[in-house]
Amino acid sequence: MSDATPPRASAPPDDRRESFEREALVHLDALYRVALRLTGNASDADDLVQETMLKAYRAWDQYQRGTNAKGWLLTILRHAFINEYRRRTRHPETVDLDAIEPFAVFDEVQEEDPQGRFFDQIVDDEVLRAIDQLPEQFREAVVLSDVEGLSYEEVARILSVPIGTVKSRLFRARRQLQAKLYDYAVEMGYIKGSRA
Amino acid sequence: MNCREAVDHLYEYLDQELTPEIERAVRQHLVDCQPCLEQFDFEEAFLKFLQARCRSRCAPSELKRRILHELFGE
Repeated sequence: MSDATPPRASAPPDDRRESFEREALVHLDALYRVALRLTGNASDADDLVQETMLKAYRAWDQYQRGTNAKGWLLTILRHAFINEYRRRTRHPETVDLDAIEPFAVFDEVQEEDPQGRFFDQIVDDEVLRAIDQLPEQFREAVVLSDVEGLSYEEVARILSVPIGTVKSRLFRARRQLQAKLYDYAVEMGYIKGSRA
Repeated sequence: MNCREAVDHLYEYLDQELTPEIERAVRQHLVDCQPCLEQFDFEEAFLKFLQARCRSRCAPSELKRRILHELFGE
């Protein structure tokens, strides 16, 4: 008997590839969407996703099969972003949320459009632009939770913050987004609005 | 549960992050309180709208090709 046996044998190459395709590559679109919102441009998003997939494949033997691959990949992606991209990516001017008085859009529209039908007239690009203007901490919470549908716990783990922090960031980010899109809808005449 | 407490749990309710007990209490409040129900419906519509608008983007097929090539030499 030898003690030199490695604790975990690497999977044969075919299994490794097959499981990576099945569990990791299926999340390519999600990784790309998150990368786009983090970097703010398509070319950096491409590079960030590619790098994430390469790192993930190299570390694939450390990933426990059948657990949460999406969360695992997004953690790798976010670390790569922070370490290598954040300094050089340029985002549109972000706003200081503390400087803005948040208001509940529902209170403004409950007479005119309580079901929020005016939202339906707002196109994708306008929504993405509004998200891009959020401060990074709020933007990543919205993207992981509202766009990719991760639980508070998964978002907290990826961002390395307590669950309470995720909740408060989400609350403020959603209110801010609503307010921004409401102002836009008023400006475009989709809704009369009561703040003018 | 009163309106104030229900609204405090608004997003946790919509995100399905409440304990079953509190979730039941919120749901019961919404049965009894039309104004709160309207507000919850509005917020739910907003979250659905947000997700629908943002999930239309897919990774470019060229990126997928590049990654497969890097990983498996194809």
